[in-house]
Amino acid sequence: MKPDTLPEFDQTPRVAERYQRPRSFISWAGVLLGLVLGIAGGLIYTWGFDPIEEFDTQPWQLTEADRAQYIVAVMLDYSHNADLSLATQRLAALRLPRDFIQEVADVACTLTTEGYANNSSGLRAVRAMMTFYQLQGRSGCADSLILADVTASPQVVLIEPPTPTLTPPVTKTPTPDAVDRVGGTPTAFIVPTSPPQSDFEIANIPTVCSEARAGLIEVQVVDFNGQGIPGQLVRVTWDGGASVFATGLKPERGAGYADFQMEPGLSYVVDMPGRADPSQPLTATSCPLEGGGRSIITYRVVFRPVG
Amino acid sequence: MRRFLASFLVALLIGVGIGLYLGWVQFPVQFVDSPASALAQSAKDEYTLMIAGAYADDGDLNGAVERLRVLGVDNVPAYVQEVTERYITNSRGIDDIRLLVRLAEGMGRLTPVMEPYRQLALPGQGA
Repeated sequence: MKPDTLPEFDQTPRVAERYQRPRSFISWAGVLLGLVLGIAGGLIYTWGFDPIEEFDTQPWQLTEADRAQYIVAVMLDYSHNADLSLATQRLAALRLPRDFIQEVADVACTLTTEGYANNSSGLRAVRAMMTFYQLQGRSGCADSLILADVTASPQVVLIEPPTPTLTPPVTKTPTPDAVDRVGGTPTAFIVPTSPPQSDFEIANIPTVCSEARAGLIEVQVVDFNGQGIPGQLVRVTWDGGASVFATGLKPERGAGYADFQMEPGLSYVVDMPGRADPSQPLTATSCPLEGGGRSIITYRVVFRPVG
Repeated sequence: MRRFLASFLVALLIGVGIGLYLGWVQFPVQFVDSPASALAQSAKDEYTLMIAGAYADDGDLNGAVERLRVLGVDNVPAYVQEVTERYITNSRGIDDIRLLVRLAEGMGRLTPVMEPYRQLALPGQGA
């Protein structure tokens, strides 16, 4: 006895529907393969066979030799205008792989060993570089190969003892004072002053008590996004002295970082000359360490843009 | 098969277009080890200005010429004249212009347009 409906009879409509469905014009496998091969081919052509013509090359892209010449130019300009901030900004733009001050010392060393300093022009350039990196506490082989200006052959200066002269006799008619001659009160000049304008302000000054980094003023100059800004001048003033230094000279501590070692017991004021008001006095006092013992307090001064 | 080939070819063309855009515009080749002659004009100007500052400091004309040769210019005095006059016509900083005028003058390229920016040494003053 034949059943009314067989299983294959049930599937027939579905199979028919599958083959009668309108087919898509797009083969997604073809699209995917075409895109991948097309993009890969385009990139291979533009990067390998026909790259864009070189233009707008920046100093960081220079060859090692030309980059050394650029560093020489930066140093010569620094010896001309003594603008530490500008010099550090220019050096930072070279994207040197490590401490760029030490890189200046290394370039000076290389140039000296290659005979660059054999003429007066090259010697002057290397000395300018030496002055720069020595002031920042770095050293290089040029230090031993080239004597500094101060060690040049001493000159003997003969000083003639002054011949004593007699004091002229007092004249009978005294010379009137300048104010008396005019007869009036001196004119007072009032120079109009503009209210002080600051670009930066001190965000906060947290303190730390650390044995490893005792008695430091650690400065961070950051932008609106909290990113460190290199090449910013910071001034520390104390009773009887002042020191100006730039951020970014210790890149391993951050682009906007600079620090200053305090003497115990002294008080210091930190500011950015002409750009931020001075801090409250920061005194290098003793502080207790967590594990016992004592150290000198460390201040962390953060400058941020006003506004 | 025809459907596959048509899709593949159309996608290939689109892909090539995207690849060319990425390779030439969005992520072009970054050149390194470039010579100073390929520097951007702004970087060349800054380099020239630094050399002019050094010249104002030490008066070493030969040193200045040698350092500017790095830029790959054929005629260094003519190049300095061109940069100086461009700075003047573009009203750049007066201090920069004076430095360049001084260098141009040292190279014998003082032109009438530079005259107002020339710094004369008065008796008893340095240059």
